[in-house]
Amino acid sequence: MPAATGVTAPSLTTFTRSVRSKGISVESSTDNLISLLKRRQIRGSQACAIATAYLLRRVVESVKVTDVGRLIERVQQVGQRLVSAQPRELAIGNIVRRVLGVIREEAEEDREGETSGYSDAGTDSRPHTPRNQDVRSPEHSTILSRSFTSSPLRHGEKDEQVEAPGQWGPQRPPLLTSHASYAVTNTAPTVTSMFSLLSQPISNFPSPTTSPGSQSPGIHQSLSSQTLSNITAAKDLKAEVVEGIQEILEELTQADDQIAGYALEHIHSNEVILTHTSSVTVQKFLLKAATKRKFTVIHAEAYPNNHEATHAAAVGNVRGDFDEDIGAEKFQKALTAAGVTVVLIPDSAVFALMSRINKVILGTHVVLANGGLVAAAGAKAIAKAAKVHATPVVVLSGVYKLSPVYPFDMDSLMENGDPSKVIGYDDGGFVDKVKIENPLFDYVPVELVNLYITNLGGHAPSYLHCIIDDHYRPEDIDLDKVDVY
Amino acid sequence: MPPKNPKGAKAKQNPQEDQREDSLQAVVLADSFETRFAPFTFDRPRCLLPLVNTPLIEYTLEFLANAGVQEVFVYCGSHADQVEEYINDSKWTSKSSPFRALKVLKSTATSVGEAMRNLDNLDLITGDFLLVSGDVISNMNLEPALVKHRARREKSKDAIMTMVLRETGVGHRTKSKGSRPVFVIDPVAERCLHYEEMGHRRGGSRYVSLDPELLTSHGEIEVRDDLIDCRIDICAVDVLAQWSDNFDFQSLRKSFLRGVLKDYETYGKTIHTYVVTDQYAARVKSLRAYDAVSKDVLGRWAYPICPDSNLVRGQSYRLGAGKVYKEDRVMLGRTTDVKRSVIGSDTRIGDGSTITGSTVGRGCNIGKNVTIDGAYIWDDVVVEDGSIIRQAIIASRSSIGKGCKIEHGALIMFGAHLTQDSSVSANSWITRDDNKDHNSNQDSDDSDASSVGSSRLIYQSPSASSSLSSISTLASSEDDLEPPRDMLRRSSFRSDPSDDAGENRDFHVEATASILDGLQKNDLSDTIMLELNGYRMSTNASQHEVRKAVVAAFMKRISNLICGDNASGSGSMSMREAVKEVFTRYRALIERTTFDKDAEGKVDQVDFLMLVQKEVLWRPNGDQLLLFVAKEVYDMDIIEEDGVLQWWDDPRSQEGEMGKVRELTEQFITFLKEAEEDEESEEEDDDED
Repeated sequence: MPAATGVTAPSLTTFTRSVRSKGISVESSTDNLISLLKRRQIRGSQACAIATAYLLRRVVESVKVTDVGRLIERVQQVGQRLVSAQPRELAIGNIVRRVLGVIREEAEEDREGETSGYSDAGTDSRPHTPRNQDVRSPEHSTILSRSFTSSPLRHGEKDEQVEAPGQWGPQRPPLLTSHASYAVTNTAPTVTSMFSLLSQPISNFPSPTTSPGSQSPGIHQSLSSQTLSNITAAKDLKAEVVEGIQEILEELTQADDQIAGYALEHIHSNEVILTHTSSVTVQKFLLKAATKRKFTVIHAEAYPNNHEATHAAAVGNVRGDFDEDIGAEKFQKALTAAGVTVVLIPDSAVFALMSRINKVILGTHVVLANGGLVAAAGAKAIAKAAKVHATPVVVLSGVYKLSPVYPFDMDSLMENGDPSKVIGYDDGGFVDKVKIENPLFDYVPVELVNLYITNLGGHAPSYLHCIIDDHYRPEDIDLDKVDVY
Repeated sequence: MPPKNPKGAKAKQNPQEDQREDSLQAVVLADSFETRFAPFTFDRPRCLLPLVNTPLIEYTLEFLANAGVQEVFVYCGSHADQVEEYINDSKWTSKSSPFRALKVLKSTATSVGEAMRNLDNLDLITGDFLLVSGDVISNMNLEPALVKHRARREKSKDAIMTMVLRETGVGHRTKSKGSRPVFVIDPVAERCLHYEEMGHRRGGSRYVSLDPELLTSHGEIEVRDDLIDCRIDICAVDVLAQWSDNFDFQSLRKSFLRGVLKDYETYGKTIHTYVVTDQYAARVKSLRAYDAVSKDVLGRWAYPICPDSNLVRGQSYRLGAGKVYKEDRVMLGRTTDVKRSVIGSDTRIGDGSTITGSTVGRGCNIGKNVTIDGAYIWDDVVVEDGSIIRQAIIASRSSIGKGCKIEHGALIMFGAHLTQDSSVSANSWITRDDNKDHNSNQDSDDSDASSVGSSRLIYQSPSASSSLSSISTLASSEDDLEPPRDMLRRSSFRSDPSDDAGENRDFHVEATASILDGLQKNDLSDTIMLELNGYRMSTNASQHEVRKAVVAAFMKRISNLICGDNASGSGSMSMREAVKEVFTRYRALIERTTFDKDAEGKVDQVDFLMLVQKEVLWRPNGDQLLLFVAKEVYDMDIIEEDGVLQWWDDPRSQEGEMGKVRELTEQFITFLKEAEEDEESEEEDDDED
């Protein structure tokens, strides 16, 4: 359904407007969002994440109790309802978990203020407990993440290595800013954990690496809920949580630009890049690179669900109605206008052209805990072809798309779309005799991906679990049972 | 923003007008005023019948919510209480409902026309509104249509309505095979110029007759029969005024649309079309369409309106492997084979059963080695081991014994029980015996608690979607189940179809309705006659048909009076009083349609009585009614003694059913004959003297 521009049809914009107005109760806002999600009037990871964050902010604001346990319970309640309304939009669950994490963290900080010794006992095994101490110079972190970033590509790309050193200098400032802005909420733990990886004894490490299921959240849960509910949070807890959510919201809107900030590290002159769908994240990334470099983009058109938007993206006037339709308005300049040579190919020609391609850049719907992707249909074919030709596959994804959910039941994560995009409904004979299917998503296993670029930087697939571990509390991973199992 | 609409002539100043002026209103006709879903609609209104385990009206309301409608009026006819109860329980009336207001309007209207006129009187509609029937399923984005409609309204106040039509190819499964609507459209102005319904069976013409004027006055015209008319109309308030001004309009398309188009020369009102080519829209207007739309929803054609979007509160469908939508707590045997189906919660299915392309409701218990193929099984149904069910509809709370065979197109009613090893032949329907006494062919040897009737009202055969646009409220409780031979073309006017063959059905239906309308309003018989005559001339109907319409309307009116149909506001009367009342008041109508007072053979009078006899055939207590009518017309001297006797002796009135119904009247005839003999003997005496 195309983005609604008129007065009547509800959409993300009407929702965010209504959720802010005090006249509408939280309960009805929740129901409103649930029905919007069910009707797919809000769809796509970013839109869902933003809507969820707005709603949760409202929920937190409206909760009267100052008891942390209650607050957490309330957020969990709302979160569960949202998740079950649209279980395939994993970003909803991610945001709910993030908000829960913010609440717990604020509560812990408060408590640390009161009884400092006690907190250590509760969170001993977690690598980012000594959070307060780690105000380290961001430079360390950039260097670290940078070295990490380029490593997987090194063997594949020779010219990259040649060019790479030249890039470090000018690239540093944006990196710094992005980190600095992020450090307020979530980067700090990331960085810490990376350092703890290097500096702390190994014994600390294995517990977060194991799958979330095998982690023992039971102890944590009972401990934390018991202790948390005992604490009556300071008056400004709510304000702090709201601030935390506000930061998540900022992160959501900035993620694409932050990711684009890494573009020059990854795209080099005269490269041939293959991409797929009209993902705004990817488009911004390419555009950013195009400010400095000349390269060729081969665009697979993603028929039948996204080809129109893809075509539009190539020549301008983006209407992007598929995944990230939020930044669509801001995003106006076309690739061709930026001086990039764009070649549009049908999806079926991907393999034939793969031998000429230097790098595959994919957007994604969601990244799962094991590093596998749920991406637009066709992504798997592309990734497979790339594997055969040993072409590196780079996936761009905001951290908010990174889900701690494991793909145990693939079928329930995949969504089937409207078959009329394949064969028009007016073809009566066809409709009656042939079963037509139009899956929207592909599952791309982690083996086919070489590098993930998030708003925190580039990460190897094996490193993703660390980010997950830093962003989501283990006690929140089991947000709702249906979702995980 | 919608333009401020000119108020219809009757619209009064509304104090809340300012507040509502920019909201979009919608009217849902929850009653279709048709009988195509019989026998299910005897117990439940059509809009609450489940389609893929979700009541039909949910889809319609979902569609309206999608379109951003703010205020909804649900207009109920039969089973209004059930509809109201359902809606009050649903999410649509909760605080978080997307609608600012949702009102259930109960009425006793027996046609769309009455409903619309009633609506006009209620004065609820303040601006443009959507008129949809309560069985529409669509994922359509209405915005472009609304925008166009408003733009047209700004240009010309005469563009009163926009019909939203879905383009389909030839021979589509959701299209009815009975009658095909044909739209003649000016593609440039998107204006509908002419409308006709073509049927390929008898009763419908194979031709579309166009006014040659149309060809000369429009640069380009399209004649299209590939459009699904899903009855989504964007109307201006003026539409209601039109309905009120033309009190003989009954149905939405056949009379209203055609009427307005015909009067274009006089009033200049135009009706426009908006043809949709890429989204889903369909209307569940017959059992056949029920089958087709169910398949569409299962096949995700109506995406995002799919089973796994869980439209209703409390649903928890998830799409799993094999294209099976399952709710929580479904228990499948280990060797159960389920494909492309929907299964509601708390349903158990035993080992070795095969289910393909079917829907199974909640709380069903299906035994071992059962084969279900393309069937629709509603809630709480028990199917015991080894049964085979093919493309049938099995309503809630029924149970099927071991080893039963249910063939294509069978309809099993609410709460029916089939005993072990019974078989239900194709296209028959089974109801509970206690449903009421109906004296049809009972094959009760293969079902003990149930009775079987064979119906041609099945969704597979093309004849299923009867072309008749009946104007009755379906299944008012006094409606008895009819003998099957009348099922096909059942209308509330109960005219025997056999002698309709070459006749003008339109005339009958419309004339009857208009007379009935007059009767209910207590119009003078002169007024009714005038209208009737005008209508007769314009359609070139014979006097026989006029009489038939009069009789049908009278009988309907009488039974209304007896049963206290409150459309007329009158309470219940005894049959004698009712007959007397109607015939005294409107004797002129009959007198003016019988022309043989002085003739020797009273052909017209005989015909009149014959029609009465036929008409009472299927009415409750028909025999009594016939007696009262015969007596009354005789007493009032509308029909002469000779007429009565000639009718009595006519062989046509003695056969089969007809003979049975007149048994009671025999005493009256005997009385007449005796009186005559007395007279004669007196005369003879005189002669002797």
